Amino acid sequence: MLNRRSLLQTGAALAVAGPARGAELERVRVSIIPINDVTPLFVAIERGFFRNEGLLVDTSPSAGGATGIPGLVAGSYDIAYGNVVSTLLAAQQGIELRVIAPGTKIQEARNDHSAIVVRRESGIRSGKDLEGKVVGVNTRNNVIWLYARAWIKATGGNPDRVTYKEIPHPQMEDAIRQKQVDAGYMVVPYVTLATAKPEFEKIAHPYSAVQLGVDVGQYLATASFVQSKPETVAKFVRALRRGIEWYNANLTNPDLLPIISGFTKIEVPLLKTLTLPPAPLVVEPAQMERTTQLMIEHRLLRKPVDVKALVAPMAL
Amino acid sequence: MRDRLLPRLLGILSIVALLGAWEVASRTGALNPVLMPRPSLVGLTLWEILVGGEFLGPLGHTLLLFAVGYGLACLIGITLGLLMGASPVIYGLFEPLVELIRPLPKSALVPALFLFLGIGPATMVTVVVLAAVFPVLINTLQGVRGIDPVLLDTARTFQCSRTRTLLSVVLPAAMPMILAGMRVGLGLGLVLVILAEMLAGESGLGYLILDLQRSFQIREMYAWIAVLAAVGGTLAVIFDWMDKRVVPWRGRA
Amino acid sequence: MGQSLAAPAVARATTARSAGSQNPAPRPRRNWAHTRASGFALILVLLALWEASSRLGWVQGQSWPPFSAVLVAAWRGTLGGELSLPLLSTIGRMLAGYAIGCSLGVALGLLLGANRWIRWIVLPVVEMIRPIPIPAIVPPLILFLGIDDALKVFVVALASFFPALINTMAGVLGVDDVLLQTARTFRVGWSRTVLRVVLPATLPAIASGLRVAIGLALVVTVVAEMIAGSAGIGYYIVQMQYALRPDAMYAAVLCLAVTGYVLNRLFLIGEARLMPWMGRG
Repeated sequence: MLNRRSLLQTGAALAVAGPARGAELERVRVSIIPINDVTPLFVAIERGFFRNEGLLVDTSPSAGGATGIPGLVAGSYDIAYGNVVSTLLAAQQGIELRVIAPGTKIQEARNDHSAIVVRRESGIRSGKDLEGKVVGVNTRNNVIWLYARAWIKATGGNPDRVTYKEIPHPQMEDAIRQKQVDAGYMVVPYVTLATAKPEFEKIAHPYSAVQLGVDVGQYLATASFVQSKPETVAKFVRALRRGIEWYNANLTNPDLLPIISGFTKIEVPLLKTLTLPPAPLVVEPAQMERTTQLMIEHRLLRKPVDVKALVAPMAL
Repeated sequence: MRDRLLPRLLGILSIVALLGAWEVASRTGALNPVLMPRPSLVGLTLWEILVGGEFLGPLGHTLLLFAVGYGLACLIGITLGLLMGASPVIYGLFEPLVELIRPLPKSALVPALFLFLGIGPATMVTVVVLAAVFPVLINTLQGVRGIDPVLLDTARTFQCSRTRTLLSVVLPAAMPMILAGMRVGLGLGLVLVILAEMLAGESGLGYLILDLQRSFQIREMYAWIAVLAAVGGTLAVIFDWMDKRVVPWRGRA
Repeated sequence: MGQSLAAPAVARATTARSAGSQNPAPRPRRNWAHTRASGFALILVLLALWEASSRLGWVQGQSWPPFSAVLVAAWRGTLGGELSLPLLSTIGRMLAGYAIGCSLGVALGLLLGANRWIRWIVLPVVEMIRPIPIPAIVPPLILFLGIDDALKVFVVALASFFPALINTMAGVLGVDDVLLQTARTFRVGWSRTVLRVVLPATLPAIASGLRVAIGLALVVTVVAEMIAGSAGIGYYIVQMQYALRPDAMYAAVLCLAVTGYVLNRLFLIGEARLMPWMGRG
């Protein structure tokens, strides 16, 4: 469905713009999460940046991204968008991955839209207040869980005294309203919708509060793919960077909305209410190392991961 | 005794041969050792899990959820099945609804259940009940309908009350069919227990397996899948044993 | 006729029923609608409650659209292809997996039923794998088969395989000895015995295995698509949930219910055509 759409769009761009023929294009399969983070990739597809490099990018969505890295390992994909914690977990278990391009980064506090949301009358303000309470996260033992814990600790709470409950992003608002959880770590667009209602309130932005500059998500490939097809990877990263640059220069451009709606299936009027954050051009290994430290502190990793070896030079 | 020994031996041999082939393939690198760790290593992990007693918590969670969900499903299925079989009015009232809900993949209902019942035990039990109730219900109904009219006539001749006829004539006569339905419900119920635990993400074998997969601890994941397989196998064996007690005439074809 | 609920679940059930003559006579058509009038009324009441609960705000939640909105979404999605294309792809995968799983299951079931050596060697392995619930094996399978069609077809084939295998085997083993002895007494040849005695006696068991399998197949396809999806109706449901379009999500659920119902009906009709001696019209 989505694959076909992106193919069609690439095809359309082809017909308009170039001498390059479909037969000459190299097909690259990319696993994505249908959220705003991968918009630059779709910008690069729509504007023909990949085609100019001789690539035909075929995207395959995975809700929540649970199948990205496994699919990469199994050879279903050449490249996958994944969050930093999953990447580090996989690396620790001996799965040979390489970070090839930047994805999402919290560069400034004002661009950190994900937040811990509570009912306004709950009186919860800090991690200390959350002790003995229940916090909703999309997935335990993963990135959102990690930064929720780190924030609880940073604001005087003991993260081990908090219960974490897995709630899918779209259900978080209902879960908080129905008091199934006392607080929920929400992401765009759900957080925007929820906090527009008077009953809810944001109390913190854990990413920027704990680690401003955190590299939340990246594009990955297996080490063997990077080794065997360095040209393909280089072309992909070059085209993606052009997509990122165009995206950053056009954050308020209404042309972006149909692109985002195309792969998230979220309707355009709803998308209009969102503020788009700029995307990073490089990966910062130092930030990934800080994430590694946090993961050790919260017992997600047993020992440090060699981040320098994990990040391919072209991502820097 | 002799003629039971040979089949057992052959069976054990074939399983050992399979594991041996896997072991060799993993050692030589024919199978990716990260994705398909050697059975000896998985066995070691399994041993640690069993000896350390850490399987008790998740196992208890899974079994409790299963017992409650499956028990309710059998109760509801048999009761409703008997009533629908005995009374055309009740049959007419519920048949369309049953036919509407039955073919639904129950997993598709999870988001709606989350909304009404919250993400927790209520949703999980409901999902299990929904999965296991229909085979029981339908087989009960069919068992009731297949009862020899002579039996019912006899009951009428002896002026048994309706309730008494239902409980002492209809129920025992329908028992083989009901048990066959419960056997199907057993498998379906267990599938949905695991799925519910994966979706609700709190505890239990289902959650654990998913969590281990998400953090790429493949060896541990296989060890837990082995625990799960043992649970499923044990439940089936217990059921078949009970089945033979209740319907001793079956299986002597 | 009006016997859709009366579907035996496993081979043993069929034999337990012993004779078709015990079934009540089929009712006339007019009666069919008449007896169910209250049932349809019940469904309408429930749907009206759904509509009201959403419109009047009894149930507060962003994922509870009125039923009428669901119907509109189903109508649009079916016509526009947004819903019908994933549904078709799901059915395609399901049928492929079902066909593969059932043919292998029946073939192996006949073999295991006929030869005790093979049964002794293979059955323990089958019994070892069979109790693992399908959702539990999806995560490791992703690592081997990726998340494409191969995974879903395999999972569906596996889910269909076991009921087909076990019921076929039970059917072969359950062929009445008296029948075989009679055939022997009348000096019926071996191949004729298999064709005329064993196969007809086993077909009902095979059929109930196949029916259990088709019920499982749709469920498992949707589960696999929900866990490891990038296409199909299972993924569509998850995607619509994330896109905050609950009307489209419930529309998909509605379409699945209809699909499941139609599949079951088709199966029953086919069975009645092919095996009239099963004693049901």
